[in-house]
Amino acid sequence: MSSHNESIIREPLVTGQNITYAKVTNDILVPVENKPNKAWWIGFTLAVLGALLWLFSVSYTFWFGIGAWGLNKTVGWAWDITDFVWWVGIGHAGTLISAVLLLFRQNWRNSINRSAEAMTIFAVICAATYVVAHMGRPWLAYWIFPLPNQFGSLWVNFNSPLVWDAFAISTYFTVSLVFWYTGLLPDIATVRDRATGLRRRIYSIFSFGWNGSVKTWQRFEIVSLILAGISTPLVLSVHTIVSFDFATSVIPGWHTTIFPPYFVAGAIFSGFAMVQTLLLIMRKVLNFENYITMFHIESMNKIIMTTGSIVGVAYLTELFIAWYSGSEYEMYAFENRIAGPYWWAYWAMMTCNVISPQLFWFKKIRTSIPISWVLSIVVNIGMWFERFVIIVTSLHRDYLPSSWAMFYPTWTDVGIFVGSIGLFFTLFLLFLRVLPGIAIAEVKLLLNGPSYQQKLKLAKEGHQDPEQVAFLQKSLEKFDTVSEEEIKELSK
Amino acid sequence: MDSNKKYWKGLEELQQTPAFVENSKSEFAEPLPIENVLEGPGLEKKTPRRDFLKKLGFGIGAVSLAACQNTPVHKSIPYLIKPEEVTPGIPNYYASSYNGQSVLVKTREGRPILIEANPAAKLLNCGTDAATQASVLDLYDTNKLKDPKIGGRETGWAKVDKAVIAALDEANASGKQIRIVSSTLNSPTALSLIAQFTAKYPTTKLVEIDSVSYAGIIKANQNSFGKAVIPHYRFDKAEVIVSVSADFIGTWLSGEEYTQQFISKRDYKSLENGKMSRLIQFESGMSLTGSNADARIPIKVSEEVPVLIALYNAITGNNVAGAIGSDNAKAQKVVALASKELLQAKGKSVVVAGSNNVAVQSLVNAINVALENYGNTIDLDNASYQYKGNDTDFESFLNEAKAGNVGVAFFLNTNPAYDYYDSKKLADALEKIKTKISFSDREDETSVYMDILAPNHSYLESWGDGNALTGYYTIVQPTINPVYNTRQYEQSLLIWSGSEQDYYDYLRAYWEQNILAGTGRSWDDMLQTGFEYKGEVAAQAYSFNGDINSIAQQALSFSKSFAKDVEVQLYQSIALRDGKQGNNALLHELPDPISKVTWDNYVAISPAYAKSLGIVENDVLKVTGENGYTVELPVLLQPGQAQGTVSIAVGYGRSKVGKAGNNIGKNAYPFAKIVDGAQVLYTTAKIEKTGDSYILAQTQTHHTIEGRNVVRETSFKDYLHDPAHGSGNHGTKHKTYDLWNKYESPGHKWVLAIDLNACTGCGSCIVACNLENNIPVVGRDEVRRRREMHWMRVDRYYSFNVEGNEVTKEKELASLSGEDLDDVSVVHQPMMCQHCDHAPCETVCPVLATVHSNEGLNHMAYNRCFGTRYCANNCPYKVRRFNWFNYWNDSRFDNYLNNEFTQLVLNPDVTSRTRGVMEKCSMCIQRIQAGKLKAKMEKRPLKDGDIVMACGSACSANAIIFGDLNDPNSEVSKALKNERVYYVLEEINVQPNVGYMTKVRNTLEA
Repeated sequence: MSSHNESIIREPLVTGQNITYAKVTNDILVPVENKPNKAWWIGFTLAVLGALLWLFSVSYTFWFGIGAWGLNKTVGWAWDITDFVWWVGIGHAGTLISAVLLLFRQNWRNSINRSAEAMTIFAVICAATYVVAHMGRPWLAYWIFPLPNQFGSLWVNFNSPLVWDAFAISTYFTVSLVFWYTGLLPDIATVRDRATGLRRRIYSIFSFGWNGSVKTWQRFEIVSLILAGISTPLVLSVHTIVSFDFATSVIPGWHTTIFPPYFVAGAIFSGFAMVQTLLLIMRKVLNFENYITMFHIESMNKIIMTTGSIVGVAYLTELFIAWYSGSEYEMYAFENRIAGPYWWAYWAMMTCNVISPQLFWFKKIRTSIPISWVLSIVVNIGMWFERFVIIVTSLHRDYLPSSWAMFYPTWTDVGIFVGSIGLFFTLFLLFLRVLPGIAIAEVKLLLNGPSYQQKLKLAKEGHQDPEQVAFLQKSLEKFDTVSEEEIKELSK
Repeated sequence: MDSNKKYWKGLEELQQTPAFVENSKSEFAEPLPIENVLEGPGLEKKTPRRDFLKKLGFGIGAVSLAACQNTPVHKSIPYLIKPEEVTPGIPNYYASSYNGQSVLVKTREGRPILIEANPAAKLLNCGTDAATQASVLDLYDTNKLKDPKIGGRETGWAKVDKAVIAALDEANASGKQIRIVSSTLNSPTALSLIAQFTAKYPTTKLVEIDSVSYAGIIKANQNSFGKAVIPHYRFDKAEVIVSVSADFIGTWLSGEEYTQQFISKRDYKSLENGKMSRLIQFESGMSLTGSNADARIPIKVSEEVPVLIALYNAITGNNVAGAIGSDNAKAQKVVALASKELLQAKGKSVVVAGSNNVAVQSLVNAINVALENYGNTIDLDNASYQYKGNDTDFESFLNEAKAGNVGVAFFLNTNPAYDYYDSKKLADALEKIKTKISFSDREDETSVYMDILAPNHSYLESWGDGNALTGYYTIVQPTINPVYNTRQYEQSLLIWSGSEQDYYDYLRAYWEQNILAGTGRSWDDMLQTGFEYKGEVAAQAYSFNGDINSIAQQALSFSKSFAKDVEVQLYQSIALRDGKQGNNALLHELPDPISKVTWDNYVAISPAYAKSLGIVENDVLKVTGENGYTVELPVLLQPGQAQGTVSIAVGYGRSKVGKAGNNIGKNAYPFAKIVDGAQVLYTTAKIEKTGDSYILAQTQTHHTIEGRNVVRETSFKDYLHDPAHGSGNHGTKHKTYDLWNKYESPGHKWVLAIDLNACTGCGSCIVACNLENNIPVVGRDEVRRRREMHWMRVDRYYSFNVEGNEVTKEKELASLSGEDLDDVSVVHQPMMCQHCDHAPCETVCPVLATVHSNEGLNHMAYNRCFGTRYCANNCPYKVRRFNWFNYWNDSRFDNYLNNEFTQLVLNPDVTSRTRGVMEKCSMCIQRIQAGKLKAKMEKRPLKDGDIVMACGSACSANAIIFGDLNDPNSEVSKALKNERVYYVLEEINVQPNVGYMTKVRNTLEA
């Protein structure tokens, strides 16, 4: 994208020296072109075990009925929809990174978008499984779509948020998949070009005949831009519509106009946390440290902090509005969240989502890899609890006290949730084996601009303001991939 | 373009050789070598490679053809010759009777499916209780005996007859006694038959014994008035009622009848006339009656007599010693107030006591005489024959047997091995009887001791009659052919007495000669109407015979014997009663009206008393009675239970009743004892914690209203001042704005009106609804998971009166002391689908499985539902029920419908639902449809009252009124114009179609 020189004070997006185009390709394709290492096998085995647990729990549910779960006459949704919203929310970061950041020319996205988008697709797959699995008669799941049928005028209910949901999720999945795949084309072609035999034939088919001509690249850029334009509203709409499942109901604690922005912020919050969880491991295990730098980590932590604060404000606003509404049912719903039988879930949510991201105000914390990783998991635990709090604590004590009930999960509930994480990681680890986890073509764009070696070159040319160089040196101190010698070298 | 050209396929065709002509007639030119393939050498032949595709094709084709049969074939045989009276799809109703109450049995295609009260009945024309409703399920019980048995081996009736006659002849020859032990037998024909039997075998005697005895009342009336009967109480004439532990609208004597009488003084019609009776209840355990009382004072078992003496003293001005003192100041105060009220309502009041002690009942008689109630509210001349059991008769039977004087004993509708308190005494006695014959329909606890089992028909298979009240005779007629190889006991007795007459002829002859003679009515009329009423005898006033001081002292010493350890009150639960229908899954799953517990009995104990003993909810207690009998039962914290007492239900703990009922709860009968010749359901016990815990399956676990106005109530005083008091219904409404279009109901608009002042909470509507709508029973574990399927429920809320304030909020309750929880008021609120005009469920269903009708109903299309449960979540009333499992075909729910025989109880007009589908109250849409069709066939407009809901028809209190709101003259339209009407959660503007009328309490003001 940019071949002109970047200001020296900007932090590099690629670190390390002697990074050539070939090295980028070689580095990134290591996991694709070689036999998996032990770490991968351990992870994959665990993930597959999880996926098998998922398969077993879901099959058990299908065989016996939804009664296998802990639901009851009062709480008709619990872990199922909690997990569904959790996974959809996680998916949001991928679209935000790939689409919104592209439109805003945030080129730090180049090295994280591929995995984030893959995460989106796998998360949406996990979410979609719940859409089907939570149904009493899942074999009729296709009825959610307005398909022609033998019943004449029998149609879906366009008033129902669940119908909107089906449209939103399916659109989202399709667009995300197309966007992801389009971005993959030049990289698949790269793998193809380096492969032989059967692998070459397979990658050849999947590269859709990419030939690297200028026209191909130009079309690629245009399609990416168009898809980014299409995806951007989806970032807002999907979780808005998911929030309508609750907001359009009459249940106190659900019937809330704040839900759309609150859900979108929460989704981005949890999505970035999941990206953080995945990439911190990935950059270490796959030696991508030079491409996913401290700058990326810190940027994502800042987004987590910002969206976490938005979510926190939303929580407090909800409480205020509940009090301000004067509606006894609404007030009770929130009192019950805070101090009812599920108080621990509410306070787990508050601690994980509101308090823990505030730690990122401290630079030490937001540039510490272990703490960032732990907090990213804390955030995702918190976001799971947020959905649990919204769904279960609102339902379990609604209008008529005679029907108040508690929800206790069964092993099937737990199995499906833990199993869906296994399913997700199975897909993600397979993805890392067959497709480049970082967009090779897009990272290459960064080498002549926001990279350490380019900064070094500029500094050595000697036309830079020493103060600015010193600023860069200072900001490079937090980078785990830039050595002290390399920092000193800038001022030589 | 026609062409005459003909192409020939070979010279043979051109030349039309004979061989060709012959071959062209068959489909294949050459014969198929089928025989070659299928016969010996063909089968041994190796399959050549070239045949591979052929075989593959054939194989796939055959397999797919075989797989094409996707619907299982159900063997249903149509009528080859249609019986004249049976039209498939049209129900037949038979007038019959159950426990002396005239009922209509609805049959479809020859199988009884529902019991309803006979609306034309002259007496007992109330609703039906849960037990009566559920009795139809007992017919389809697979645990019943399928053949008679001798010595535990199945046999035929001929052998049984031979054996029994031999035994009878032997007893007769040796001068041994013959006894027929039965529960109350008020069938006049059967009694006459027994007389005939006695003529043949002169040593025969009928011994009547009831599981729960009322002999104390009979004996007291004998002593006080010289009439050994149970009187006919008239609560409909009483303005003030004082009950000491009598659950008279529940399980005491004739609960449904008394409910109807009692409520007639309290329902909306009575209130509109400015009339309401007042009920003051003194009791230990919270009974159904206590929960409906205007003032309820918890007293210990041992305080019953002191309360009655105090009442007697206050009314008569006498000063009999032993009156309740200041140790129960509240009771003392209320006795003073109550006696004032009673005196003001002389002749229009009634005092009843639940105790079966002769002296206690005599004391009550004295009070009622002083209040001039005999001849007014208590009628000794039109007596009740509902319970005639005589405990002393049974005791002397046991003694005779033990002495070896009884040769043959028959057991009819009685199960002493289960419900007699002294099992050892019983066993010792039975051992000495040479031949014991049981008529029980199953191998129950008593059958273990029996030599011969001669299983009786169900009442739905029998001919018979009943005489529950003086001058009131009812018919029992069969509604189905006997299912198993059983024989009604009357027929057996006829045969054994040497007669070859059919019991039907005997019955008919008896009626024609005795009951119908001179009435101008024929037997056929009886089969249609179901009853014959001779009219009321003029009731007389009676004066009291006896020395009140000695009676009081006798009662007092009885009472004092319970003033130690923990005082235990045994009671019958509303659902299971005495335990006779112990294998009835519908009854087990019917929640107790007060505790909302299903599938168990328990130790009810007050929260404060439990705390003082260190007992918490879910603890399992070991209860050791004074006779040494012990049971381990879980605890239920019951607000309003008197301190120092516990209550335990009898009727549970059957060990040999059937799959559904075996070992449900524990048997509490052995705690009972006989005092002064009458069974007493009180004892004292020591209780200790076992350390175990047990979770009771309750359908409601939050018991207070949290200050919400979903239940609205007022006092009678305020009501008289302003009928709209408490309901918020002052005519004008806020202007509301709707997102949704208004639903027009141009034709009918079906609505319900529910009178909270009429509803007693008994729950017979729930059983009626279950049967009418094929609602599955889910069992204890599923109820614990809060998954009962009941379409209609009765919510029960407690509120606590603390220093004049009503406390209903969880947090405020937590800070109350235990004693504050004693003063508890109860309200029962029937709750079912409210059929909202702006139904929240309808907008959220993605597939339009639940939609609104233009008659104001919220429909549920089961076939369209794919089970997202969003509708249930969005229902503010939480009345939608989800089929979590396939309750019809899942071995884990084996106590109900998992067999084809029991499935015959299903109502064919209502689809049974598969798993994964939502269901809810349809407002008996099948009944609405049937009513409309009937009116159409008769070419007339639908009238109010043509259609009744299953719940409403079961209700003795007329608390549920159904009808068309568009008809200004319908009962429901008139009821809903009442100022007391409000709609639950009307503020969220879902526009429910079920109106509620405020609960009015006729509170006792000091």
